[in-house]
Amino acid sequence: MRWYWKHVGPRRIIEFVLLTVFAVFFAGPLLNLLVLAFSEKWNYPNVLPQTWGFKWWNFVLAKDDIVSSISLSFLIATLVTLLSIVVCIPAAYAFARLQFPLKRMFLFSFLLTHAFPKMGLYVSIAVLFYQIGLMNTLLGVVLIHMINVLMFMTWIPTASFRNVHRAQEESARDVGASPFKVFRSVTLPMAMPGIMVASIFTFLNSLDEAQGTFLVGIPDYKTMPIVMYSIISDFPSSAGAVFSIILTLPTIILLVAAQRLVSADVLASGFQMK
Amino acid sequence: MSSKGMIAAGNAGKKQSPAKSVSRETKQAILGLAMVLPSFAILLIVVIIPIVQSLIMSLSNGQGGYDLSRYAYLFTDPGMRANIVFTLRVTAITCVTVLLVSYALAIYMRFNQGPIVDLIRRTYMIPLFIPGVIATYGLINLLGNHGWLSRMLEAFGGELPRIIFDEKGIIIANLWFNIPFTTMLLSSALAGIPSSVIESAKDVGVGRLRLFTKFIFPLSYKTFLVAVTFVFMGVIGSFTAPFLIGANSPQMLGVSMQQVFSVFREREQAAAIAFFSFLLCSVLGAFYIRSMAEEEKAKM
Repeated sequence: MRWYWKHVGPRRIIEFVLLTVFAVFFAGPLLNLLVLAFSEKWNYPNVLPQTWGFKWWNFVLAKDDIVSSISLSFLIATLVTLLSIVVCIPAAYAFARLQFPLKRMFLFSFLLTHAFPKMGLYVSIAVLFYQIGLMNTLLGVVLIHMINVLMFMTWIPTASFRNVHRAQEESARDVGASPFKVFRSVTLPMAMPGIMVASIFTFLNSLDEAQGTFLVGIPDYKTMPIVMYSIISDFPSSAGAVFSIILTLPTIILLVAAQRLVSADVLASGFQMK
Repeated sequence: MSSKGMIAAGNAGKKQSPAKSVSRETKQAILGLAMVLPSFAILLIVVIIPIVQSLIMSLSNGQGGYDLSRYAYLFTDPGMRANIVFTLRVTAITCVTVLLVSYALAIYMRFNQGPIVDLIRRTYMIPLFIPGVIATYGLINLLGNHGWLSRMLEAFGGELPRIIFDEKGIIIANLWFNIPFTTMLLSSALAGIPSSVIESAKDVGVGRLRLFTKFIFPLSYKTFLVAVTFVFMGVIGSFTAPFLIGANSPQMLGVSMQQVFSVFREREQAAAIAFFSFLLCSVLGAFYIRSMAEEEKAKM
């Protein structure tokens, strides 16, 4: 064994130790929830559950308010995604292709969504919503979810539209396609990957948003993350683990489906100009 | 709006070419503005108006006048002062740790090959997509008293020190959220550094440390500053993790302003705390917008 380590060299050993720490730190919490969710009896100090089973799944899925929070969350996430597509994609196209006054000012105004600490911004919005009667309304919740997505929903598609070569659009024009036809059959398909990634993030972002909803949506708009706050304090940890998996499942499914499209470069273009 | 532009363009078509090109510009300008305004309107409602309004509200003293009494309270009340100091401490420690680890990880991924590196590349972004509530809950279960890690260590005769439910817990949770994000930003910046630059520097015998300080850091420092901005603001404006694992006092500012707003229902005071948190981040926020604007200028 000693011989083996010597042969491998100290650099490899340090690398191995560090990577193990990373793996435990980042994967550990999630793995732990996975094990917890399928445990029926897991007393201290056992390292693994004594009895495995689906008891807590039945418990969680039998609670009406938990089940209704799932459909509410999906409804809100769908609304937010649709609204942001309708509002942001045209803006992205304009930023990439059209010349208009104050263009740079408009483009950079979206940076404002990321230039303030989130909870401070949410409290300011709540103060405003309180005065104009948007507290505890669906519109209020949808609007507060829009903050986080406005910027990358505009910037990622802007970058995608810019990456479509004008020459390709022009050659389509040359063979007689109308501007709309060019947009539909050349520009849009080529920008689609970026738009898809932005939309998926928007959907996931809205599904996972907790802090803003907690402030303006209580008591009627209890989305999944809000219910999770109370599950953590009111129920045994296995129930919380089951609900965690339910809450994370859409994320995993969508990410696996979109795996090919997601890269550090595309993601980073939603937060900074490159 | 756009139909008006179209009519103008149609009329202009009959005239000679210079006028035609001018009105085409007008048409494009109107179309562009029409496409941008809806999203800008939402921005106005959810960002600009609330910020202005919270400033005005935080300055009102409750007797019809305006003064700085709500801000004075932040510094005279011992509890509030402790919260501010606590928040800044946690933020500073988190920022430094996140940046050190993320730089190391991003550089490791950029300049190494092999199955392990591929595995990290494919998985390191997963935490970005895990809901904050879930991650915090997982950390509580893993690292808490009698948690999974302490059970595992005990099986080998070790003991886990108390690391959650106080300042350390908040920092740990913030590391969990911020390291993957910062690594993502930095790797995308490092990907832009040509390998040839690094190779030729290595060829002439430049050491690792100098390679970092003379080449890698200067070539990625703008992204580095963006990353600092995001981590700094992310921690100051954080709520979920400190809400679930923090102690009752001192509190992080995010939790404190939520309590003042929702529990004590003192909206003016909450607005003052919110605006104070904006002031804390104002330098970085302004820098972020400025540097992005410069970057964009080079392209347009």
